[in-house]
Amino acid sequence: MPGQSSHFTPALPLTSQPQPCGRAGFSGFPSPAQDYEPCTLDLNTRLVKNPTETFYVTATGDSMEGWGIFEGDLLVVDRSIEPQLGHILVAMLEGEALIKRYALYRGTPHLCSTHPNYPPLPLEGSDCQLWGVVRAVVHEYLR
Amino acid sequence: MIGLVDANNFYVSCERVFQPKLEGRPVGVMSNNDGCVIARSAELKALGIPMGAPAFKLEEMRQRGEIHLLSSNYELYGDMSARLTQLLRDACPAIAPYSIDEMFVYLEGLTTEQCERLGRELHHRIRRHLGLPVCVGLAPTHTLAKLANHLAKQDPHYQGVCLLNGQDHTTQALLKRTQVGSVWGVGHRLAGRLAIGGVTTAWDLRQSDDKQLRKRFSVVLARTALELRGTPCMEMNALDQPRQRIMTSRSFGQPTGVFAEVHNALRRHAQRSAEKLREQRSLARAVMVFLNTNRHRRDQLQYFPQALIALPSPSDDTRVILDAVRQGLEQIHRPRYQFMKAGVMLLDLVDAEQHQLSLLHPPVRDRHPFLMATVDQINQRMGQGTISFGMTDAPAAWQLRCAHRSDRYTTRWDELMKVGTHPGAVAAAEAKQKEKQKKSRR
Repeated sequence: MPGQSSHFTPALPLTSQPQPCGRAGFSGFPSPAQDYEPCTLDLNTRLVKNPTETFYVTATGDSMEGWGIFEGDLLVVDRSIEPQLGHILVAMLEGEALIKRYALYRGTPHLCSTHPNYPPLPLEGSDCQLWGVVRAVVHEYLR
Repeated sequence: MIGLVDANNFYVSCERVFQPKLEGRPVGVMSNNDGCVIARSAELKALGIPMGAPAFKLEEMRQRGEIHLLSSNYELYGDMSARLTQLLRDACPAIAPYSIDEMFVYLEGLTTEQCERLGRELHHRIRRHLGLPVCVGLAPTHTLAKLANHLAKQDPHYQGVCLLNGQDHTTQALLKRTQVGSVWGVGHRLAGRLAIGGVTTAWDLRQSDDKQLRKRFSVVLARTALELRGTPCMEMNALDQPRQRIMTSRSFGQPTGVFAEVHNALRRHAQRSAEKLREQRSLARAVMVFLNTNRHRRDQLQYFPQALIALPSPSDDTRVILDAVRQGLEQIHRPRYQFMKAGVMLLDLVDAEQHQLSLLHPPVRDRHPFLMATVDQINQRMGQGTISFGMTDAPAAWQLRCAHRSDRYTTRWDELMKVGTHPGAVAAAEAKQKEKQKKSRR
């Protein structure tokens, strides 16, 4: 459950134990890494800073490709972050969730994408609501 | 100060987090097998649709698009509840979950102003960070906190947070217009008996003589009166009668991480809970399993998981509940944690007799009332646990009817919320998908 502490099983069997070499009373040189706890890197600690407020969503559509978000990508959305200019957001607009970049356009804040068919949407006067800030995009080449 | 944080229309609110189009619309969530309505949005309540309304009667309205009816999605609700609990655990000195959508927070050592500020902060943060609307009631006692919460829900003037200090004018005015029957721990029947003696409002009860209450009614009622006066004297578990949910939990003598040991403890709790359930002639629709590590041991890994398992149909059968408990434990147990406490909660209870009389529900083959009654009798006569249940068989392939269940957005990789990069992107992708499926079928 993402709301809880993370659980991670190392994909590779890492071990600091010297391998048995078959002769009684002799175990070879101790591994120089023996004193170091096996410490696998956990992607959760890098991508998920606030597990309770982090949600995953799937991107659909091609109008954010210029900023590296492609159809089917996994987005890590942190709802506890205060949005700043330049952040990529999930925002609710007229009952629909949208991925957009929060940026200045002609001097006022807009929700922008990189596709010419979809011009920036001015925030002023719209009923747009913030859902969360996109912390990371996971683009899987092999699926 | 004690705070009660209670989510508004919790099941519906969970659905709305991931389906923004449901915001402002009449939405209902149905029981297992889509039998009847068990949760309603404010808009659905305004249409006059009562709790427990049979779903088939609403089918026409649903098809005309006037209302939205969803199958219950317990996996989603369970995960959102775990997040809510965790958020409160991080923000408050101590908390105690009371049900899936109600949590008590204990704010000892804070001034009244600090409590109110924290209440507002929690109200705002839960809405913003989890997308859930909640109300917060703050007061010196459990009983008053419950009333404060009720007031926060009813009166928009409070903007979701109501603090009753127990002595002020607001407390007095509220108690004077609160029927004694809606005070926590005062049942319907008791309210009738109290009315004979002229006690009709919560204020009357507060002003009643302590000795008289104890003599003519019970110690529990005398305590309720004390609580109304602002003197905390009730343990949380004493308050839930008639029970809306049944909880059995205990700390381990020795912390343990061994699956079999945790499972054994949970099996005991499950059997005890099932007995309590049958005692009050209720059936449960869902079972929650939770584990706690020792939060005071900062040097140890912390883990407070919970799992919610929906039952195929409302049940009081120990074996069905044991089975759900095992499923839940398998979902959340991780060997590297030392667990301090384990518990079982039975949720969404229905009245057994009413349920059996209803023609809407398919006959339940799992139930063996005589077997259960016999087991309970033997245990009552010969002592707790004289007869208990061994390992149950592997679960039958439970086929829940859940035609209108939303996706399990937070617990399944292949059911995440889809978000478009431009308006209409998700709708277009879904249309394309349907087209593809049609073609492949041909």
